[in-house]
Amino acid sequence: MERHHPLSASFHGSMRSRDSSSTVGSDAREKIKDCFRKFIAFMFTQVGVGALVVCYAILGAAGFMHIEKDNPDEQLEHVRQLRKNCAETLWNITITDNLFNETSWVFKVNEVLKVFQNNITAAIHTGYNGRAAEDIWSFPAALMYSLSVFTMIGYGNIVPKTVWGKIGTIAYACFGIPIYVLYFCNMGKVLAQTFKWLYITAHECSRRDDTLFEDGEMQPVKRKITVPSTACLWVISFYILTGTIMFGAWEKWNYLDSTYFCVISLCKIGFGDFVPGANIVDSAGGSHLKLVINFIYVLLGMGLVAMCYNLMCEDVRVKVRELREDLRNCLDDITLKITVCMNDTKYYHHQKNSRNVK
Amino acid sequence: MPRRRRRLASRLRDYVRGLLAFLFSNVGVIVLVVAYTIAGSFMFQAIEGGSERKIDNQMKRERENLSQYLWQNVTLALNLFNETAVKERIGTELQNYQTKIVRAVHKGWDGGRSSPQWSFSSGFLYSLTVITTIGYGHLSPKTEWGKVVTILYALLGMPLFLLYLTNVGELLARWFKCIYALICLCRGCPGFTRRRAARLRLQYDLSEAESIERPQAWRGRYPGYPDSDVTPEFVVPPMERYPPPRGYPRRADYMRSVSMPQPPPPRDYRPRAPPRRGASEPARAPSPASSDFSYVTFDAQTITVPISVCVTILVGYIMFGSMIFGMWEKWDQLDGAYFCFISLSSIGFGDFVPGERVYTPRIETSFIVCSMYLMLGMALVAMCFNLMQEQVMHYFAGLKRAVKRLGRCKR
Repeated sequence: MERHHPLSASFHGSMRSRDSSSTVGSDAREKIKDCFRKFIAFMFTQVGVGALVVCYAILGAAGFMHIEKDNPDEQLEHVRQLRKNCAETLWNITITDNLFNETSWVFKVNEVLKVFQNNITAAIHTGYNGRAAEDIWSFPAALMYSLSVFTMIGYGNIVPKTVWGKIGTIAYACFGIPIYVLYFCNMGKVLAQTFKWLYITAHECSRRDDTLFEDGEMQPVKRKITVPSTACLWVISFYILTGTIMFGAWEKWNYLDSTYFCVISLCKIGFGDFVPGANIVDSAGGSHLKLVINFIYVLLGMGLVAMCYNLMCEDVRVKVRELREDLRNCLDDITLKITVCMNDTKYYHHQKNSRNVK
Repeated sequence: MPRRRRRLASRLRDYVRGLLAFLFSNVGVIVLVVAYTIAGSFMFQAIEGGSERKIDNQMKRERENLSQYLWQNVTLALNLFNETAVKERIGTELQNYQTKIVRAVHKGWDGGRSSPQWSFSSGFLYSLTVITTIGYGHLSPKTEWGKVVTILYALLGMPLFLLYLTNVGELLARWFKCIYALICLCRGCPGFTRRRAARLRLQYDLSEAESIERPQAWRGRYPGYPDSDVTPEFVVPPMERYPPPRGYPRRADYMRSVSMPQPPPPRDYRPRAPPRRGASEPARAPSPASSDFSYVTFDAQTITVPISVCVTILVGYIMFGSMIFGMWEKWDQLDGAYFCFISLSSIGFGDFVPGERVYTPRIETSFIVCSMYLMLGMALVAMCFNLMQEQVMHYFAGLKRAVKRLGRCKR
């Protein structure tokens, strides 16, 4: 669905430009051929890169699932052992102690529990998650994992435990990050062009209305229009707002948390304290659709960020150039004034001198 | 004699100006990043320090509740001589307790550590992971204000860090190219440059105009931007496509993209006075005496460093980091390399995080080394990307030319 939109828009743009440029001798067949060629190029570059990214993610998900799923989970066993030991010690305390002395019993139990708690915390820090490997590495979660690797988000809510998983992650990132960067640049360019075209069309429409009312014809002033940064910011904030509402409804987060998640994801920071997958895995029904939407949300959001980056760079460059021109004009003005002033004073001095001489 | 002195003075002034520009662009950016991070560290410490104590107290209460509960409901209520039943009951209670602990740790409680989580060094590293977009996530803001401030901090800090990356990456790339040219390609050897220059000049004369176009186009670009004594990054923004200057041949598009990541050749802003200021001075760029020297510097920036060298540098840096962190944290070699890779590629899972030794309340050398490692590593990665991109563009241009020539041949 999302892919379709830039396609049609860019088509319109290219067709329009071609029509306006070559009115003479435009053959219909030639035009169709050209159109077809452009379509194929578009399919191969933009859609192709998008499909490549998606395929790479799916491939990675399958690979990581395969590697990590049949990992004998020592951590889980270790924690079970810890719990057993703790129960044993508690039983021992109950047996050996005087049962009618409540405070001492409670004190001792508290000590034991503290040790247990510290052990559990240490286990969590070395990767214990409370869930078995089969539960963690479901396909949606693995897809999210591979997405988080090659987009460099790195949520870290699920991580590889095996040696081969780690090596595979490194290799996967090495090849995935360039593909993702390609996608980022490509998507950014396409979206920026589309958005620019939209903006310019809207701009011209509104201005034509104005000028029509004023003097009946358009001004011949053809300035190069750049999309202002505020428009980009509006788009991004609208996107984040959409994400906020969506994730807030699904995951029962409050709006601040969900905004926080969206920003942290789109900025590629990815703390991983809020991850949508964690809850989605629990609710099996309709999880796949949600996950796919989530996947697309993140991927498209990255494209949007790239678009805004492109447009804002352009805008900033234009602004800087204008600023520099202004500054130069200002400096010239000042120098002119100073020279005039100097001349005046010189003239004045000269007059004074001559008067003195007189 | 006075003319010579004057030239010396002007050269000295140029050096001073170059030094100032360097200080303001590169050192200034580094100082700005560090100051921003320190400010963030104090800010997050102030915001998040309070909530940590609260959750600590809460877990303590939880533990006491559990022991009380065990006393009330297990030891008193159950038959004490039925060992298995009691153990089972205790086991289920412990499991509940364990899930509570897991949830608390996920919410940011850190039971095993005696020192507070949000010390200066941990706050510093937290701010650093935010603006570098690593985001380990072992420390994350829990309070509402912490989250809001993190969002704002990231929005402001990331462009700053991007600036740092492009700036320092470019600088490092330039230095590295010079070093590479001097050492590996033996450009510093006496007589080499002259021979090479002669050979190249011969080639230029023989080959088509497209090889010569590049310096001409560069030279032709500068009149459009007369005040090139502002920071050179300003004049030609790196990594961006630039609108082709007027009169620029359309054909050498790839040439322009080849030259894209690198700033204008150094002789254009370093050893020469800007033509507007030194109007009394003759612009002495292409004077025959200095041509060899300038040719060397020019040449050092036009060579491309092979990808294998970049990859070797990155791998060496990762190995170095894995050695250091492995020594501190008792990780094995693979885990250390994995940690360094995940950090430097800004993925940042946070399953391996430098622990107690780095995140102490006191400021230790290990903390400084860790943050330096991260910042320098990011710049190195940017540098290698710069160089690799250049090289890939170079290959690509060569391929394109070859294909074009092939097509011409067929016809």
